[in-house]
Amino acid sequence: MTDTYSGSETAALSPSGARPKKRLHDRWLTFGTFAVLLGSWAAATGTGPWEPIISPLFLPSPALVVQTFLQLWENGFQGKSLGDHIGISLYRFSTAFFFCIVLGVPLGLLMGMNKRVRAIVEPPIQAIRPIPKIALLPLFLIWFGIGNLSKIIVISAPVFPIIAISAMQAVRSVSEKKIQAAQSLGAGRWTVFSRIVLPASLPGIFTGIRVSISIAVTMLVAAELTATSEGIAWMALTAAEFLATNIVIVAVLIMALIGFGLDRLFWFLETRIVHWSGKD
Amino acid sequence: MQIEPYECGTRCAPSEAKLAIEGVSKIYGAGAEAVVALTPMDLMVRDGDFLCVVGPSGCGKTTLLNLVAGFDTPTGGSIRLDGQEISGPGAERGVVFQQGALFNWMNVLENVAFGPRATGHSVAVAHERALRTLQMVGLEDFVQKYPYQLSGGMQQRVGIARALTNDPEVLLMDEPFAALDQQTREGLLGEIRDLWKRTGKTILWITHSIEEALFLATHIVVMSPRPGRVRAAFRSEFGTSEDPMVAVSPEFVAAKRQIIELLSAEAPKEVLAQ
Repeated sequence: MTDTYSGSETAALSPSGARPKKRLHDRWLTFGTFAVLLGSWAAATGTGPWEPIISPLFLPSPALVVQTFLQLWENGFQGKSLGDHIGISLYRFSTAFFFCIVLGVPLGLLMGMNKRVRAIVEPPIQAIRPIPKIALLPLFLIWFGIGNLSKIIVISAPVFPIIAISAMQAVRSVSEKKIQAAQSLGAGRWTVFSRIVLPASLPGIFTGIRVSISIAVTMLVAAELTATSEGIAWMALTAAEFLATNIVIVAVLIMALIGFGLDRLFWFLETRIVHWSGKD
Repeated sequence: MQIEPYECGTRCAPSEAKLAIEGVSKIYGAGAEAVVALTPMDLMVRDGDFLCVVGPSGCGKTTLLNLVAGFDTPTGGSIRLDGQEISGPGAERGVVFQQGALFNWMNVLENVAFGPRATGHSVAVAHERALRTLQMVGLEDFVQKYPYQLSGGMQQRVGIARALTNDPEVLLMDEPFAALDQQTREGLLGEIRDLWKRTGKTILWITHSIEEALFLATHIVVMSPRPGRVRAAFRSEFGTSEDPMVAVSPEFVAAKRQIIELLSAEAPKEVLAQ
């Protein structure tokens, strides 16, 4: 009971006075970290009257990275616009993610609710979990061809079990008391599921989804390793063959931004939808 | 004013009882690992009784409540409410838990309206009923709040309102105020007495506090552990007393002493057993 207030029952919850100030202070510290990183990067790569310590071949200056980004935006890369590369990667990524959520969450819920379903489905999922999914890429290429399907499947391979298992565990950790309370208020099985088990599991499901975002971005790189000539990760890999470090960095930053943006998006949805998360 | 012993199993004929508990026992596990949680007990509760079951942990009082609520099935015997055998949880038996049983994803109004909604009433009817019981427990200004925004005492009021809104035949309360601070608890105990007088509900109240039992109950069942069993039962007049200072009266203290002595008579045996 951390979020309740003691003493007078009707007193309003007042945040301690020092809190907003401290938060602002912390923000400045975080900002400082990035400023120092960017500053050292700029200094080491010869931004100024001195010679670069690190050759642009290995690490281009921030200015060159920005310039490269603008050039890529203008002229595209290897016959396709930057938007196309980002678009195809986002397509692969979000299709995989969409199907993992749409199929994985209900399956996990079923596994959590029903012992038999769990006995049938959980062992195979647990068995494939430890296999490094990148190792399956050649197999997927043979089975599903060199098109987008094999890429979507290799991204889904690690994401699906995480989402399904976390949904299952979320269901299994729903407080027995809450279920009993609902039953003794007259709720039948369907009402208990839809109004108790499902909402009580949502925080756990969201956690599973957010954990798998960074894994899915990693798998995007693996998926675009071979058998394609488009995509943002493919752009980075191809540019690396020509030692075009500036392009590699632009591509990496774009992927980082995609991962970060998605994480923020789901974090935003989480705070909006499951406002009660962690407040039991 | 005082307490006097009575036979809780033969207080009335089972057919006259609101809640008839006959030969009910509960054993967990089997064989060498079997644990007797409750040895066969009889208990007749009449309509409008405020019955407190008091005893230390392990005496089987919560087991008894879980059996009456239908969360668990007895190993032997039968439990009947208005002559109907209990076979699972049901809306005619409202349960109030110690804590953590509110639905955090629903606001106070939705929590309290859950019962009528689950039993097939329209949203309008459910909300109207919920507002009425919320008024009874003094929470009409907090309907839009979420449970985690309320203090522990207010959360328990929501739990009580939620159970009352279904207008159950019997209220089962599992140490509802055990996690609250002393002042909040004392205030709420007074409110519960008023609520009982106004509604005339049959209440089965589980507690480990002898004082709480004396302050509330018309009937007190004292249980003791290893194995869980009924030790004694008393009729009490303190629960219906109009005296606001009844809990500090000499008779009250004497009654408390009587029950403490009854329970501590067990203690030497316990020490020997360990």
